[in-house]
Amino acid sequence: MMTRTTRSRRAARLAGLALAAALALTACGPGASDGGGTVASDVPLTIPREDMGTFVRNFNPFSPNVAPMTQQAVYEPMIIFNPADGSMTPWLASEWTTSKDGKDIVFTLRDGVQWSDGEPLVAQDVVTTFDLQKELLGGYEYLDSVEAKDDRTVVFHLTETYSPALSELGQQIVIPDHVWSDMEDPGKATNEAPVGTGPYTEVTAFASQSFDLGPNPHYWQPDKQQIPGIRMLAFAGNDGANLAAANGEVDWAPQFIPNIEQAFVARDPEHNHYWFPPTGAMISWQLNTTREPYDDVDVRKALSMAIDREQVIDVAMQGYTKPADCTGLSGGYDTWRDEDLAGSCTWTTRDVDAANALLDEAGYARGADGTRTLKDGKPFTLKISVGSTSSDWLSVADIISQNLADVGVKASVDAPDWSAVTASYEDGTFDTGIVWSNNAPTPYQFYRGVMSTQTVKPVGEQTFENYHRFGDEKTDDLLDEFAASSDEAGQHDVVERLQAEFDAQAPVVPLFPSPEWGAYTDARFTGWPTEDNPYATLSTRAPTAVLVLTSLRPVQG
Amino acid sequence: MRFVLRRLGFYLLAFWVSITLNFLLPRFMPGDPVSRMFAQSQSRMTPEQITQLQQLFGLDDRPVWRQYVDYLGNIATGQMGISISHFPTPVTEVIAGQIGWTLLLGGTALLVAVVVGNLLGILAAWRRGGMLDSVFPPVLVFVGSFPYFWLAMGALYFFGVMLGWFPLRHAFTAGSAPQWSGQFVADVGMHLVLPALTIVVVSIGGWMLAMRNTMIATNAEDYIVMAEAKGLRPTRIMFRYAARNAMLPAVTSFGMSLGFVVGGALLTEVVFAYPGVGYQLLAAVQGLDYPLMQGIFLTITAAVLFVNFLVDLVYVRLDPRVRVS
Repeated sequence: MMTRTTRSRRAARLAGLALAAALALTACGPGASDGGGTVASDVPLTIPREDMGTFVRNFNPFSPNVAPMTQQAVYEPMIIFNPADGSMTPWLASEWTTSKDGKDIVFTLRDGVQWSDGEPLVAQDVVTTFDLQKELLGGYEYLDSVEAKDDRTVVFHLTETYSPALSELGQQIVIPDHVWSDMEDPGKATNEAPVGTGPYTEVTAFASQSFDLGPNPHYWQPDKQQIPGIRMLAFAGNDGANLAAANGEVDWAPQFIPNIEQAFVARDPEHNHYWFPPTGAMISWQLNTTREPYDDVDVRKALSMAIDREQVIDVAMQGYTKPADCTGLSGGYDTWRDEDLAGSCTWTTRDVDAANALLDEAGYARGADGTRTLKDGKPFTLKISVGSTSSDWLSVADIISQNLADVGVKASVDAPDWSAVTASYEDGTFDTGIVWSNNAPTPYQFYRGVMSTQTVKPVGEQTFENYHRFGDEKTDDLLDEFAASSDEAGQHDVVERLQAEFDAQAPVVPLFPSPEWGAYTDARFTGWPTEDNPYATLSTRAPTAVLVLTSLRPVQG
Repeated sequence: MRFVLRRLGFYLLAFWVSITLNFLLPRFMPGDPVSRMFAQSQSRMTPEQITQLQQLFGLDDRPVWRQYVDYLGNIATGQMGISISHFPTPVTEVIAGQIGWTLLLGGTALLVAVVVGNLLGILAAWRRGGMLDSVFPPVLVFVGSFPYFWLAMGALYFFGVMLGWFPLRHAFTAGSAPQWSGQFVADVGMHLVLPALTIVVVSIGGWMLAMRNTMIATNAEDYIVMAEAKGLRPTRIMFRYAARNAMLPAVTSFGMSLGFVVGGALLTEVVFAYPGVGYQLLAAVQGLDYPLMQGIFLTITAAVLFVNFLVDLVYVRLDPRVRVS
């Protein structure tokens, strides 16, 4: 096992070197020379999309296969939540208030916002948005009704107090009532010429592998439309998109670039930069808690202690993220994190002796050959499921299985196609597996998804969260308390107690928060978010992308 | 005529078997399209949206035999449903948008490989042991055995990035719109060179070797000696006597390959970001997009069977022995 991984690592490094050498050679070619020289003022901001071989002219924001940038550049939400610094930016809504009992939320729409066809933004637009969203895609079960009090005031009546509602409702992108209310079948409409409030709404060119969005003539922040437009390029895979990025032909590369220092930054160290904030969803190793011995919290903690997270990050994730702690919270929740608890974690750092002691104590004795047996006398073996296409997670699973050998547990990696893996997660027939988690503006959804009894479904019944089927009643109470508390200090207090409960129960084994990939070149445009100025992440699919679009400006000269 | 009818019957049976397999195989795959989409979105979708999406897509939980009957009916009437991975675009539209580029790329590459490969094979066999015969086959087989991905990447770096002779991606320059003008056709041509060339390079060796081997057998036939004895021009003997008789296996393989062209060239499409059916098929399989998968498989099956039928007909014309038996 060991030699195989080392060898494949060496092979990967060789491949990386070869690539870097090829790139270095090409630096003197004619392709590279036009990178920084000519800066035409009408060249749009060019962005690759690596997982769409071709585009379909579909700007329907309710469609799951909508053209990229529809939800970022064409339509806008009332509030934008930024996971990089935990801030909320008022956008289409200028202010909002929550009633005393927390059951009514009132949004006041910004004055002077117009749709790209010149019509003003009114409260009825928001009402229609939520009607359509609920009808077509569901969600918002807690929402009783939406009322347009006057042209600029929208009141949301909730069925019960639910504090995460504010950020969820606020992040919904808004569509115009005067266009969508007459539409015959909004779910199947392709909305080829979208009318939105966003900065770039006009489809100026559309071909199957590229399209251009031009500026909205009626944008409410005309001084922030500094870039001439957006051009999306289609790629059937990362390789083509990475080549375009390395060649300086795209400005913003949000896809994963392996070995980015050599393959991208070294091509033009002055202009090429990247920033991978660990604000994505927490990636965990989940243990099916309906099975023995994973129903034992000591076993879960001992297995977690066996894992060398530093090695996982350095080798499998190429050092692009950081190890998880025992709060389970991803980097997007830094403002919620209980630093005292996070600083004194006992079961998320590697400690083989303690892990062995814990397993011995729990009654999983180690035999003469060094392997442990379960209480029914069978050998302690486990299977780690992961989808075959995720090479990084596959190597995470490999490292975990090597680590587990140190505590006398024999683990094998089971890597069929993702569809087989998710199917086994959903009906609860898996043994253990690498898994993502809910990622919302507040930690409520995360904790609900990993340890609430409300999300536990019996084995055999399909579920889409809490695959490991762990429920804890104390968590339920805390979650209810969080939902009912509308003041921020109270919410923080509850989240601290949730963190303590997560630490006590170890419902899943947290590994690392997934990084939000993002690289850019400031040869043509500047004003990008950075670690020092984290006003947004570099994701082009996150709601914060519009903050980047309205901050960029062309390089002068 | 009886021969043609018998072949037609055989092809209809083969068609029925393949569309039935086409129906069954995707349904043996675990999971369903919406949960795939959910898994791929990795926490960008909320669990509540899933049931709603299932309704939106109109995924049916009717008994399999009913779905099968409807499926047969839809095929007969040419309806292939709505693609899930391109929702709400109909499958026919997704395929129609891609098949042109696939035929252009695959057809060009195949034609060039077949014509040049066969010519080389004929010449090599005619001058057996000569320069062409001793150098080309090993070199071409050597190049052809490179992993295609590596070769294509290498060609892209060398001719695209370093020398800058050819564009790096797509079927035409971003920002221009398809039209019938000399400039646009030239643009498409330039974009076609590298993808087509790499396919030709890896496939030409096979054509050349096959042709060379049958030619050598044919060259030993008595009628070649007879023709030489009559004092005919060597080129006439080479093409009209030897090559013509050695062509038969090449016609069969050409027919087979022509049918498979509609399946697209996945790796080429990935490396050169060239539009085509191959990547759509991959995306459909990964996203469990049953309607699109079925649509593409159906197109491939129909094309392979149709071309094979044509080859059978051409055989009747080319090979008198088939007519007699």
